[in-house]
Amino acid sequence: MKNKRFNLLLIAVVTLVALWSLWPTWRDYSLSTQLNSFSSAQDSLKYAMEHREEIDDARKKSLKLGLDLKGGMHLVMEVDQVDLFEQKAWNKDGKFTSIMQNVRAKATQSDARILDLLAAEFRTENIPLSRYFYDIRNSNQEIVTKLDKESEEALTRAKEIIRNRIDQYGVAEPVITTQGSRKIIIELPGVSDENRVRNLLKGTAKLEFRLLREPEEMLRTLDRINTYLVQNAQNRTVVTATSPVADSTAAALASVPVSGVSSAASASLPPGAVVPPSPVGKQPSAKPLYDVIGVFQNGTAFTAEHSREYVLSLLHRSDIQALLPQDSELLLAAKPEEGKDGEKLYSIYLVRKAPELTGGVITEAKATFGSQSVQPEVMMTMNSEGTSKWARITGANIGKRIAIVLDGSVYSAPVVQSKIPNGNSVINGIGSLEEAKDLEIVLKAGALPAPVRIIEERTVGPSLGADYIRAGMLSLVWSFGAVSIFMLVYYKKAGIAADIALVLNILIVLSVLAGFNASLSLPGIAGIVLTIGMAVDANVLIYERIREELADGKSVITAVTQGYDRAFSSILDSHVTTLSAAFLLYTYGIGPIQGFAVTLMIGTSASLFTAIVVTREIFHLLLAKNLMSDKSFG
Amino acid sequence: MRIFQKTNFNFIRYRKIAYGFSIILLVAGMVSLAVKGLNYGIDFRGGSEVVIRFEKNIDVGQIRSVLDAAGVSGTLKQYGMDRSFLFSTVFQGDTGQLKSLVSNALNDRIKGNALEIVRIDAVGPSIASDLKWSAVKALLASLFAILLYVGIRFEIKFATAGVIAIFHDILTVLGLFSILGGLFTFMPLEMDQSIIAAFLTIAGYSITDTVVVYDRIRERIRGQKPSEYERIFNESMNQTLSRTIITSGTVLLSVFVLFIFAGPAIRGFAFAVFMGILIGTYSSIFVAAPLVYDWLRITKSSVRLRGSKVS
Repeated sequence: MKNKRFNLLLIAVVTLVALWSLWPTWRDYSLSTQLNSFSSAQDSLKYAMEHREEIDDARKKSLKLGLDLKGGMHLVMEVDQVDLFEQKAWNKDGKFTSIMQNVRAKATQSDARILDLLAAEFRTENIPLSRYFYDIRNSNQEIVTKLDKESEEALTRAKEIIRNRIDQYGVAEPVITTQGSRKIIIELPGVSDENRVRNLLKGTAKLEFRLLREPEEMLRTLDRINTYLVQNAQNRTVVTATSPVADSTAAALASVPVSGVSSAASASLPPGAVVPPSPVGKQPSAKPLYDVIGVFQNGTAFTAEHSREYVLSLLHRSDIQALLPQDSELLLAAKPEEGKDGEKLYSIYLVRKAPELTGGVITEAKATFGSQSVQPEVMMTMNSEGTSKWARITGANIGKRIAIVLDGSVYSAPVVQSKIPNGNSVINGIGSLEEAKDLEIVLKAGALPAPVRIIEERTVGPSLGADYIRAGMLSLVWSFGAVSIFMLVYYKKAGIAADIALVLNILIVLSVLAGFNASLSLPGIAGIVLTIGMAVDANVLIYERIREELADGKSVITAVTQGYDRAFSSILDSHVTTLSAAFLLYTYGIGPIQGFAVTLMIGTSASLFTAIVVTREIFHLLLAKNLMSDKSFG
Repeated sequence: MRIFQKTNFNFIRYRKIAYGFSIILLVAGMVSLAVKGLNYGIDFRGGSEVVIRFEKNIDVGQIRSVLDAAGVSGTLKQYGMDRSFLFSTVFQGDTGQLKSLVSNALNDRIKGNALEIVRIDAVGPSIASDLKWSAVKALLASLFAILLYVGIRFEIKFATAGVIAIFHDILTVLGLFSILGGLFTFMPLEMDQSIIAAFLTIAGYSITDTVVVYDRIRERIRGQKPSEYERIFNESMNQTLSRTIITSGTVLLSVFVLFIFAGPAIRGFAFAVFMGILIGTYSSIFVAAPLVYDWLRITKSSVRLRGSKVS
C-alpha cells in the first residue's frame, strides 16, 4: 500500500515538473502570437514594453529550436597547428621548412594529430626535435608534451578570441565549443549576413608595423626575380606564366574569363612605366615578371587585379623567396587603388621581415571617418610599452615609410613625418565603414594564436527552417495519431492507459530538453517520432503477456500483476540495448546526429517509467474501482 | 482485436529456406556494393551543396544549361521538395563566393522567377574522413556493447546469434542502399551521418524483437532435454509472434509517417530505419533463434542460461 502511494506521488511530481518546465515555452508561444495579433506596430510595441520582463524571461527559459529549424550558421573551424608549431620553432633553416612542408601535406590527407605527424617526420629524418624547439637539452618526449600543451592553449585562446569577436559583432545565443585537439565548432542562430561573419571569423588579425625597404632595393630585387624567371623558362619547356588563375578550386568552379588587358593601365601611368600586357602569353616572355608587375618611375610597383593571384603564388614560392634580400619580404596591398580608367591596381611593397611592433600592444581601436576625407579608418591606441617603442621607432625613422600590415596584407604605408609620442596610429585604406567596424572588432579581440580555416559550414535559411518545423510538427501529429488510435483499437480500454503514458512520455522528452537548455532540431523531432513508436512497445509486451495469462484462465488482478512482472525482463533488455546504441551515437556522433541521439535516449528512458509505472498505477486504480474486466485488454 | 490467433508455424523446419533467402539478399547487396558502390553524401566525401528554391516551376535542364553557360561547374539534381534543386560541387572554403556565383548566374539569366538559396553545406575533406571514422567506431562499439549485454543476460551463443542477426540486418540495408541508390529522385539514398544514426537505431532495435523471443525460450527451456528443443523453439516463436509483429508494427508506423512527412533531409534515414526494422523482425524469427538452435544441435550442448528465474 505504501509503495503504491509512493508511485502515485512520483507520477504526480514527474508530471508537474514536466509541465512547469514547459510552461515558459507555452508562455513564449502565446506571447508571441499575442504580439503578432496586434494590428499596428505601435500597439505591439506598447504591449512588448509593458510585458518586457515576462517576454524576456519566457524566451530565456523556453524550449530552444536548433539551427536547422531557426535558420543560421554552423561552422567548424580548424586551428592551423602546423603554423602554430612553426611559430614556436627557432633557428629555422631549409631543412626545417621542408620537413614542415611534408607535415602539412600529410596533415591534409590524414586525421592523425599534427603533433604525431610532426614527431614521426622528425624521427624518419633522424633529427631531434630539440634542434628547433625549446631547449637543446630537452628530450623528444618532453618537447612533444610541451608542444601538446601549447596547442591546447592555442585552441582555448582561439576559442576565446572568436567568442569575443562574435560577442562584439552581436549574435544572440552563439554556441562555441572545441572538439578534439584543433577544431572549434561555432553555431550562430539567425545570422543574416553570412559573408561578414565569415570574414570576421577567419582572419587571424595579426597586426604588424614593418619598415619599408628603399625603393631602389625593391627594383633591384624585382629585376633579379625577372632574370631568374627568364633562366627558369629557358631551362624548362613549360611556360612559366601559365595562368593567373593558379587557384585550382577557383578554376574548377568558374572559368574566370581572362580579359586581354593590354594597355588598360597605360594611360594612367607616368611616363617610363612598364605596362603589363596580358599574362597569358603562350611563348616564354623575355621579361616574365614585368608581364604581371608594373613599375612606376618613382620606384613603386603594382600588379593588376587579374594577375594578383598569380603574383601571390609567385611570391609564396620558396625559390623566389630565396632571391629576396636578407630579412625581407614582398607583400601586396590589401586594397586596390584605382587607375585612371578603372583598372584595379595592387601596390607591391618590399618590407623588413621582422616587424618593428605587433598588434599585441593595441589596447583600443575605433572605427571612424578620417579627418581630411570620407575614407573610413581605424584609430588605435597602444599600451605604455607600445607607446614608448612606437615613439622610438617613429623618431628613428623620420622620412621613411612604415607599412601597417594585417594578416600579411599592407593596408597603408605612410611616410613618418615626425616622432609619435602618444602611442596613436591609424589604419586607413579601408573600403567601407562596415569593414572598418569589423577591423575594430578583430583588433580589440586580439590576434588568433594561429590561422584558422573553415572546414565545414552549414547554413540554413529561415524559410527552409520554417518548412522543417512544419514537416516536423506534421510528422509528430500523424505519428502520435496513428499509434494512439492503433493502441485504442487493438487493446480497447488498456489502450487508453498506453496513450496516456505516451502523452506523458512526449511531455517528459520536451521538458527535459527545455530544462537542460538543449535545443530541438529536425533530427531531434525524428527521434521523438521514433520514440512514439517505440514507447508503446513496452505496453504491447505487457498487454500481450496479460492476454496470455487471461487465456490461461487467471483472474484480471493476477493476470495484470503477472503480466507486468514477467514482461519486465524483455522490456528491460530491449530498452538497455536501444539506450546503449543511442548513447554511443551521442558519443561518436556530431552535431545534428547528437540531437537525434539525445531525444531517443530521453524518450527510451522515459518510456521505461511511463509504460511500467504509469500504466500500472492506472490499472490499479481501475481495478480498485472494479472498472476492469477480462474484456479490457481487447 | 487480435491479428494472430493461436498460430502454429514450424519455423525451425523451414529455417534452411530462410537462410537461403537471407544469403541471397546479402550476396546481392555485397555484389552491388562491390560493383556499384555507395552513393556517398558530402558528409563522407566532402564537397559543397547548395539547395536552390524557385518561386515558380522550372525545368531542371534549363537551370543546368544556365549554370553551364555561366561556367559554374558541378552537378544539379531535383531535390525532394517542391521547385527545389540541389547543386553540388567541390569543397569551397568560402561558401559566400559559391552562393553569390550561383545566385548571380541564375538571377542574371532566369527572369521572372525569383529564387532563394535556402541551404548551403560545405564539408572539407579532412572532416569528412573524421566523420567516417567516428561512424565506424560508433557502429562497432554498439555491436560490441550489445554482444556483451546479451551475453551477460543470456549466454554467449544467444548473444552471438543476436549480433549476427544485427549484422545481417545492417548489411542488408546497406546492400539496399547500394542497389537502390540514385534510382529515385525523391530519395537519392546517399550515405551520410543520418544513415549511420539509422544503422545504430537498427542495431539497438533489431535486438529488441530477438530478445523477446529469447526471453520466452529461456523461460521454457529450463530443465528440458535437447530433444525437446525444436518443439520449444517453435512454440516460443509462435507464442511471441503477435507481440514481435505488433511492437515492430508501431515503430514501422511512426517511421512511415517520418518518411512521408518529414521532408527530404530525413527521408533517407526513415527509409533505412523502415527497412532495417522490417528485416530485423524477420531476422529475429528466421535468423537469430534458428541459429541458436543449430548451434545447440551441432555442439550437442544443453543450455545454461542466466537469469531464468521465473517469479
